[in-house]
Amino acid sequence: MAKPKAHINQILCLACGGCISVCPQDAITMNGRKAFLEKTKCISCGICINTCPVGAIDLEGKK
Amino acid sequence: MKYDVVVVGSGPAGSVTARYAAASGAKVLIIERRPEVGVPVLCAEGISKNVDNYNLLSGTKWMAASMDGARIFSPDRTIVKLAAELAGAETGYVLNREFFDKELVQGALKKGASIMLNTTAIDLLKNKDTIIGIKALQFDEHLDIEADIIVAADGVESKVGRWAGINTTLKPHDLETCTQYTLSNIVVEEGYCDFYLGKKIAPGGYIWVFPKGKDTANVGIGVLASESTPQLPLKLLNTFIKNHPDLKKGEPLRFLAGAVPVAEPIPATYDHLLLVGDAARQVDPITGGGLMASIEAGKSAGETIGHAIELQQFDQKTLLPYEEQLQDTLYRKLKRNYVVKEILQNFDDKTLNMLADSLKNYKFDELSTFSLVKALVAKHPSLLIKLKPLMRLSKL
Repeated sequence: MAKPKAHINQILCLACGGCISVCPQDAITMNGRKAFLEKTKCISCGICINTCPVGAIDLEGKK
Repeated sequence: MKYDVVVVGSGPAGSVTARYAAASGAKVLIIERRPEVGVPVLCAEGISKNVDNYNLLSGTKWMAASMDGARIFSPDRTIVKLAAELAGAETGYVLNREFFDKELVQGALKKGASIMLNTTAIDLLKNKDTIIGIKALQFDEHLDIEADIIVAADGVESKVGRWAGINTTLKPHDLETCTQYTLSNIVVEEGYCDFYLGKKIAPGGYIWVFPKGKDTANVGIGVLASESTPQLPLKLLNTFIKNHPDLKKGEPLRFLAGAVPVAEPIPATYDHLLLVGDAARQVDPITGGGLMASIEAGKSAGETIGHAIELQQFDQKTLLPYEEQLQDTLYRKLKRNYVVKEILQNFDDKTLNMLADSLKNYKFDELSTFSLVKALVAKHPSLLIKLKPLMRLSKL
């Protein structure tokens, strides 16, 4: 089974750019004042999830 | 469209670079993805009074309050006060960044630079492997903007560097993840910027209270990303405010998130390309302050660009004076403070309390992280062993 990938909640994101700067895969870009994840590049490392100061990033499928 | 220089990003690093490049005769364009310079603010807004030495600011709206000193609170709330010994001497300012950034951009425009808003850089324009400009999106229109030199002033998440093949990825150990309220209706000790330390308060970082006026302050937190968990900065900040007698009745005027590189500066000079500001990791790793570093680096970058345009040479060798001029000043300080950051982060709460207690009546000769380190070593010579890597650095 494939590992769940990161998911960015666009409502909570405050566009600080922290997740983008630590992503080892360059999978996140700022798009229309929100961080946007390119899922095919995500390797499920979870670094962005711990980095987000406001908890806007989670694992896919997690409620 | 053809320019000598395209600067990506209109923050202080970009606008100061643009100003000095334009002043030396270069045809400069700043591109900014946001619809308004300086908005939204992503900053604690503290700056040293050294900014006065650059004569970059003319109005008064950029300044929210002036500061006489700083107070550092250890985990048990022992206070170390770093104050200007001379009565009335200002040591720094708390800014209104939205106005500060606009004034710096206006300064660049007065020297002849241009700016395009709502314009997002999407890739470097290359001829084979040579950078010849930038690709951008203005609203929904694709633009190819030719330029001899590209300046990446695109902040902590810098993409321009990555497009050039530079590994700019920050380790979680080298990033402070931050959130901040501007709180009104609070009790403020005017004239002092306050810093609260402790593993339970802000692991690997600190909480700050920077007054912006009589009853208003920026109250924020930075946590080292390697020690953070989802939403931890926000949770810790909320707990701190709720339990602080002077802050708990506060109401927010503004809420923001931020990310601050606390790394060593990365190589910032390439053929046809310079990195400045947060993009080049030009930030004091102890305080997380990057404004003065951006101004200092921006001036050096702008002047170097001016010289390169005169020579019509844009290779790395011609542009290297940008960083060479910073080696003995800014870079020495940033490299030294990176070593100190690593040491400070290993202190547990007990050690912090002990150190604060030993310094609580100390008279500091100046307000700087360096004077704090000097005082610590004077009181605790055994710290010198831990600071050994600094000896190596000071020989550089």
